[in-house]
Amino acid sequence: MSDLAADMSVRGWAVDPATGREGAAELAVRDGVLERLTWLEGAEADGIDDGGTLIVPGLVDLHAHFREPGNEDAETVATGQAAAAHGGFTTVALMPNTTPAIDDPGVVARVRAAAAASGSPVRVLVHAAVTVGRGGETLAPLGELADAGVAGFSDDGAPVHSAALMRNALAYAGALGLPIIDHTEDPTLTKGAEASEGYVASVLGLKGSPSSGEVGAVARAIAILADVVVDVPGAKLHLTHVSTAGSLAHVRAAKAAGLPVTCDVTPHHIGFADEWIAGSRRWAWEAVDADGAARDPWADGSLVAAPFDASLRVNPPLRVATDAVACLAALADGTADAIATDHAPHTEVDKHVEFGWAINGISGIETALPIVLAAVDAGRVPLLRAIEALTMGPARILGERQGVRPGLRVGEPADLMVVDRDRTWTVTAASLRSKGKNSPLLGRELRGVVRLVLAGGRVAYSAD
Amino acid sequence: MTAEADREGAASSARVTAVSAAVPAVDAPPQTQPVPWPHLHLLDVDRLTRPQIELVMGTTDAMREVLARPIPKVPALRGVNVTILFYEASTRTRVSFEVAAKNLSCDVVNIAAASSSVSKGESLVDTVRTIEALGADMLVMRHSVSGAPYLAAEVFGGSVLNGGDGWHAHPSQALLDLYTLRSQLPGGSLEGRKVVILGDALHSRVARSNIWTLTAMGADVWICGPSTLLRGFEAWAARGAAGRRFTVTSDVDAAIKDADVVMALRIQKERMASGLLPSLREYAARYGLTQERLRAAKPDVIVMHPGPMNEGVEIAADVAVDPRSVITAQVTNGVAVRMALLYLLAGAQHHGGNA
Repeated sequence: MSDLAADMSVRGWAVDPATGREGAAELAVRDGVLERLTWLEGAEADGIDDGGTLIVPGLVDLHAHFREPGNEDAETVATGQAAAAHGGFTTVALMPNTTPAIDDPGVVARVRAAAAASGSPVRVLVHAAVTVGRGGETLAPLGELADAGVAGFSDDGAPVHSAALMRNALAYAGALGLPIIDHTEDPTLTKGAEASEGYVASVLGLKGSPSSGEVGAVARAIAILADVVVDVPGAKLHLTHVSTAGSLAHVRAAKAAGLPVTCDVTPHHIGFADEWIAGSRRWAWEAVDADGAARDPWADGSLVAAPFDASLRVNPPLRVATDAVACLAALADGTADAIATDHAPHTEVDKHVEFGWAINGISGIETALPIVLAAVDAGRVPLLRAIEALTMGPARILGERQGVRPGLRVGEPADLMVVDRDRTWTVTAASLRSKGKNSPLLGRELRGVVRLVLAGGRVAYSAD
Repeated sequence: MTAEADREGAASSARVTAVSAAVPAVDAPPQTQPVPWPHLHLLDVDRLTRPQIELVMGTTDAMREVLARPIPKVPALRGVNVTILFYEASTRTRVSFEVAAKNLSCDVVNIAAASSSVSKGESLVDTVRTIEALGADMLVMRHSVSGAPYLAAEVFGGSVLNGGDGWHAHPSQALLDLYTLRSQLPGGSLEGRKVVILGDALHSRVARSNIWTLTAMGADVWICGPSTLLRGFEAWAARGAAGRRFTVTSDVDAAIKDADVVMALRIQKERMASGLLPSLREYAARYGLTQERLRAAKPDVIVMHPGPMNEGVEIAADVAVDPRSVITAQVTNGVAVRMALLYLLAGAQHHGGNA
């Protein structure tokens, strides 16, 4: 189906962050081109609201792991593209923590070739490593990689631990017009950690990862950026999977000071809280009381699943519910520019093991949108802003030169998705297109069914 | 007869009458009578209700009676296959479970497995499936990773009994500590009693499980040690364990003052290497349980230790053998408590217990 140019028309609630407009609309696509977008008024709009069929630009993920080359048992570029399309994403930027790491143009080409060979219209962008082999010792050939068309540089999975090297990387990449995407973590504080430090980790006897392990690293990265921009005004720092209120306060202040810093939050850090490891399954925003304080899952009967589900082991760890709510607030006020899935598929061999021995990561690209829509339903973030953070926000960080321009533009190849917000589906291993079945949402019914995804004018996914 | 044994005997006989109505007749197999115990597995004590804890105590009384017979053995669990799978070195707990199972006429298989994420050849899931295929009905396991027994319970068709997992839980230890205290305390009640858990709480599954069981029974629990070894406990105490408060302090004098019970925890030498403590000498001087420190406690304070002890570090040698120490009674009661747990879990298997 994906090699067919699409023809279709659809009526529903269109949300277009490119113009800031949302409302009842009718769209028509012919030969893959968005031929017509009519905003409906008056009687024509009757019966159409934002609770039914949504039509939005194709989603953009600036942070995913498709495991190729090196761990094709967990995911391939092709299965990752299929999973992305099922989740409503039409553009995905891949992290370079593959084997070998994406640290030279040859590996970039190999990943691109896999994406082209799959036949999927889901667009694959590539981030390259900051350091050779992600070893944290010497800079990768950033210039050659920029020439090869990478979207950014990241040692994701690990921080650039040396502050001096981070400074050089920000300056060098900045001159190339590319961002450093930092996995901010102080490993001296987080070594061996299994869960976020606090009540839940303490009760469960899990080694705690303190907030300072992230907050301190964020503060350091921002301080380095402030020095670098004096020499290199084009330097750009993007902080990925920010998970704590303290980190977001630093980002908020840095943005107010005019520094070129951006950040993203993940669906799991806004939707889940550390209490899920104890067996809770309520959304994070339901785990705080009216005063904003975290509730006690042992006291209020919310422990419904077995504890220590290794699918919940992730880095940064799931935080206390008040941090999740802070991430949502940062999303709503723009401190968080984007939602990034950190889709991290893993095999059963790596995940169906003791919690503390399980590899970090959640297979999340197919459940990202329903989590975000649940937060919208709960009134935590407006729909338009949520869709913006899934489209325009990441596109701005990936940069113009990648040609990622989300929007419902007449006369251009249609890149959009249709989701039935009022329908539900049950997450099962079989329902996930990803090879990674490591989702804590298995068995759960989610609202928001993706019906159709067009990428670059071609059908990437169709439920029919 | 020592004073402590005398005290114990009086308290326990008084209690048997109080709860005997619910306690099964442990000479007979559990399938021949109602066993009011709902749990197929015992993985943690965090959600045991007070009546369930009382049932364990009452059943342990019955097991103590069995142990007092000339031949301390009943056929109640004849034909039940118990596999003891320990991924961590242990003598007392492993042997205690083995003796308990044999006293109930179980068939026992012991497996000592290497425990390391690097050296493990076979996954826990595969090991447990193999053990089940070999006919095990009950699995007693110890593991160095918190929560590992939950993974075993997910795949094992019988009952899993947690013999200690990481820093998380040690249910049978907490229940035997509780049983020992009830035997020792006048009236057999923990209500309002000041119980101090002294030492390395951070790495202690014994401390965590005791917080749940002791607060469930109304004790005034104090957790005391160097602040680096109390990490996370203030967050726990502040939130309350299901509304149950306890006190966390680094002030050993405040903790021990007027204490009814002091339980010293083992200090591992590795704690110095990871920078949590300056030296064992400093620990012993500032937190070691000495006769001098104990003078601030109630005169009939009860001294406990889950073992094995570093005498001269967390507990002075003369305190360990003091008449007020019940460390040996803890070991004896351990067999009876574990017999009770095996019996109750077997009953849940026959009567459709939940997970």
